[in-house]
This record gives sequence, C-alpha cells and structure tokens, in this order.
Amino acid sequence: MKSEIRNPKSTIGNPDLSIDFAGIRLKNPVLTASGTFGYGEEFAEFVDLNRLGGVIVKGISLKPIKGNPPPRIWETPSGMLNAIGLENPGVDVFLNEKMPYLRKYDTAVIVNMFGYSLEEYVGVAERLDGVAGISGIEVNISCPNVKAGGMAFGTDLRATFGLLSAVRKATRLPLIAKLSPNVTDVTAFAKAAADAGCDGLSLINTLLGMAIDVRCRKPRLANCTGGLSGPAIRPVAVRMVWQVARSVSLPIIGMGGIVTGEDALEFMLAGASAVAVGTANFINPRATLDVLNGIEGFLREQKIGSLREIVGKVDAG
Amino acid sequence: MPSNRLHKALVVSHKPAGRGYFRLVLKAPEAARAALPGQFVMLRVSDTLDPLLARPFGISAVISRTSLEIVYRVVGKGTTRLTAAKPGQTLHLLGPLGAGFPQPDKKTIPVLVAGGSGFPPLHFLTQRSGARAHLFLGARDKECLPPAGIVQSLKKTAAKVHIATDDGSAGVQGTSTDILNAFLLKMEQKAHLVLYACGPHAMLAAVSRIAAEHAIPCHVSMEERMACGLGACMGCSVPMKAGGYKRACKEGPVFDSREIDWSEQVFLKIKK
Repeated sequence: MKSEIRNPKSTIGNPDLSIDFAGIRLKNPVLTASGTFGYGEEFAEFVDLNRLGGVIVKGISLKPIKGNPPPRIWETPSGMLNAIGLENPGVDVFLNEKMPYLRKYDTAVIVNMFGYSLEEYVGVAERLDGVAGISGIEVNISCPNVKAGGMAFGTDLRATFGLLSAVRKATRLPLIAKLSPNVTDVTAFAKAAADAGCDGLSLINTLLGMAIDVRCRKPRLANCTGGLSGPAIRPVAVRMVWQVARSVSLPIIGMGGIVTGEDALEFMLAGASAVAVGTANFINPRATLDVLNGIEGFLREQKIGSLREIVGKVDAG
Repeated sequence: MPSNRLHKALVVSHKPAGRGYFRLVLKAPEAARAALPGQFVMLRVSDTLDPLLARPFGISAVISRTSLEIVYRVVGKGTTRLTAAKPGQTLHLLGPLGAGFPQPDKKTIPVLVAGGSGFPPLHFLTQRSGARAHLFLGARDKECLPPAGIVQSLKKTAAKVHIATDDGSAGVQGTSTDILNAFLLKMEQKAHLVLYACGPHAMLAAVSRIAAEHAIPCHVSMEERMACGLGACMGCSVPMKAGGYKRACKEGPVFDSREIDWSEQVFLKIKK
C-alpha cells in the first residue's frame, strides 16, 4: 500500500495536511514516537490529542515487563541514552485500561508491540486484531536494550522476514515495521519487511551507544549500553529514510531527533510520508504541536498546497 | 489546550548563595500557588539543544504569592549553564510535579534529615510545618553544608537544628545519621515522630534502617535523573520491595521508605 495524499486540490491559504498512510487515515502527518508519549494520557494536559495525526503508544508485550534496573538514562551532547528495557503493563492492561482513554479522541492509535519470541509477537498481534479504535500495529524489531528479542530479530535478515511474515498472518490491521539503524544496509531490511507483507516502515529506532563515568570507571547506564536518541541522531535518520525511500515503495514514518517543523520537513523531503516526534516531547510537552504548526507555517510561507509537493522531493542531483 | 503547569518563569533574582550554591527566585504565580513541600519543577537551563534535557529541582520555598525559590549547587553542564540566567529573562518551567511529603498533622513532631544538596524540599517543609521540627544536617565538612542563609532560615523556623560534619569543622563530628540515631535513642516518647529525609541514596538507606529500628514512619524524597518529569520516559525508576519499579517523577519523588528496595539502589548507585 502506497501512501496517498488526500485532497490535493486544497487551497494554498489553508494547506491540507491529511494523508492516507498505509491504509490509515491521518488528519496530519505528525505522530508521537513510541516510548516518548506514554499512552497519550500523560500529555493530554498539554496537547489536545485530537490535533495529532496519531499516537504511537509505548511498546506492548504479551506479559508485563518490569524493565531494566536504574540508572536508565544519561544525557549526551544534544541527545540522550536510554535503557528502559521496554517496561510496560502488558497487552491485557493496555486493552482494558489504556485503550478506553485513547478511544475518546479523534486521532489514529498505532500500537507499538514486541515480544521475546516469535510466538509472543504473534500472540500480541492476535490480541490487537479487530480491537475497536486501533488503526495499526508498529512492530518493534529494533529495541537495542533487551537481550532476547527486539534487535536480535531486526539485525538478521532471515529472522526479520520470518517474524514479520508470521505477524502478518496474525492480523488484518495495517502493519508497520520499525527498523533498526544498527545494521550496515538498512535497505535490505526494508525490502525484507516489504516481502513479508508489511504496509509501512518506521525509521529509525535508537542507535546503540554507551557512556562511561571516567572517575568510577563504570558505564553510566546499569545496562551498560543504551539507545541514543534526540537531535544528535537526526542526520543519520534522514540519511536512512532517504536510502530506504529510494529502494522500496512502502510509505515511511520518519523519526529521529525531530524538534521543529523544519526538522520534520527534512524527513519528508527525504521521502517520509509521516513523521514522529520523540525525545522532543521530554524537553517540551507541546513539541508535537510546535512541529505541526511549523509544517503548516512552512507550507503557507512557500505557498505549497499539498504535502505531495514535499514528500521525496529532495533535489539530490 | 490550556495547561497550568507549563510556565514561562521570570527570573526575579539569581545570585551566588555561598558554598557553591546559587539562589534563584522565579516568578510563576500558578506554580507558586499550587506548590507543596516535596514537589519539584523541571527547568530548561537554556533554549539551545545542548544541554538537551530540562533539570529537576526540588522547590526550596514559596517566597510570595507569585514566586518560587530554587537553591541549587553547580555540579555539571546543566547547572553551570543555568548560572548564566539573568534577572528579567524567562526560563521554561514545568511544575509543580510529583507527589510531595504527606502533610504532618497537628500532633506530629517532624524529624527532618538532609544530606548533600537534598535540603531544599525539607527547607520548604519547615516553612510550612517547621515549628516543632528537629532538623539534622550532615556534610563532609563545613563548606559542604547548605549555604549559610539557608542554615539561618532553617534555624529560624525549625525547633532545633542539629549539625554533624565528618571532620568536626561544624557541629558534632560524625554523620547526620549518627546524631539522628543518638537523638532517637534518648527520646522516650516516639509516638508522634515522623521522619522526612532527602539526600544521597546511601544516607536515605541508613535513615530508612534507623526509622525501622525505632518503628518511626519515614518519608524519603528520591533524587533521580529525569528526562520528562511527566511519567512518560520511565527513566527515573525507583526499585520497589514488592517488585518492579515506581517513577520518582509521578508516584514519587516522596516514597514511604519501607516501600523501597534499598539493596538494589545502594548496590547500583553508590559507587564511591
């Protein structure tokens, strides 16, 4: 499924930002990156969730996960390392306690999920299938902070294809694969996701990193390594979106250090149909709206009536 | 959507307070009205993206109907940058955040224990309920105590301030927990005592043990690294005896000391 931009005839004074992403109707291309916006409720005091294109919720697994021991975060130049360890209350609590809240809003809900085995991934996908209010599934095959699952699938081509094929059979919901940047050639993984029947791609997840306290000679994180996010990784993310957009036809949600509308437009010019705001939510709870207003303002200023004139339109010679 | 916790706080005054500390007075009327002892604010120390994250600061006082006081020690990149904030400029302030200290009731005799730079929330608590309070301050040496202005202010509001330093350069030679324990051993009537503590994890673990030995309720304020302050990033986790973690920013920063799994805290974080 290719992303389609709705209503290209919209007037220039009021640019139409709505899109069809992998079969999911989004009123605008601004989403929240998984793990940075809780389950929406945490930010509802600051952001009218109805204004967002959608909420990608914090990753859900079959059983509750208690997460990694602290310290779990460490600030780095224009970024941060985290090793939360995918702490979450499990799919049952999510469906019973978090979804009823999100259902009250007119915004797309994309559920990020993961497992420690192929069976667990399939189990979660089956539980989410057909649940009212869920617009799509984002499959996390790229978390760098858990040993058994996550990145172990996302850095092996055959495992990626096998896992995504199995999840594909378990649900009719639009399926988005969140790819790991911790590979040499991300386009090969994008192709594997397309071959497995995915409808869209999210890139990028965090980059594996490490920081050390030189006086104690200990890693800053109890997990030793963690995922790097924030503006520091944006050029890497833009490059990967650009490479993947040129090699597969699946629509892309671009993410990695987006703070402003211009940051988001970089991703869109590189080929992303939608964007997700992540770490910026931590430093400014209204960051999603700032990004949305920034995109809208830019389109007005440039007299651009539709996102179609932007997506993938970088002039790379 | 209107929010009354996201503010542009005006810097009213910002001066060195001595002993490596700065005193920052911020005008943020809604935050000042709502603030309770033990709560904190997230302050962005600059508008640039490096340092990236806002920093959590315990509220040290509400000094008027419109202004909050923050007293912080310069320890790293964020606090160094913050020292450049000038009166008249504004800072992004999120707060008040978290669950503060349970309010002492009329019969309570608050026993406050502050270590390192953990005194601000306890200073705020003495402002509100300090008349009967005994306050214990501990530091390596005199120069590591809270700034003189704060010690003065504590002496004015609390019933008694007990000071200990490792080298004996101020108060009694020893640690805050030594003098706390000696104080409690002498006390015959402990029914109305309640402990409130903030400081390094090792000190809080020791205070928690003393509280258990004397069967006194104990509330500890946990200082953790945070990214969002809103319960979303899951970065400020505190290990619980019952298993799993709670968030210092949301369920805390104040916890009943009996809830916390101190073995994991001390093992992982006290490295010296």
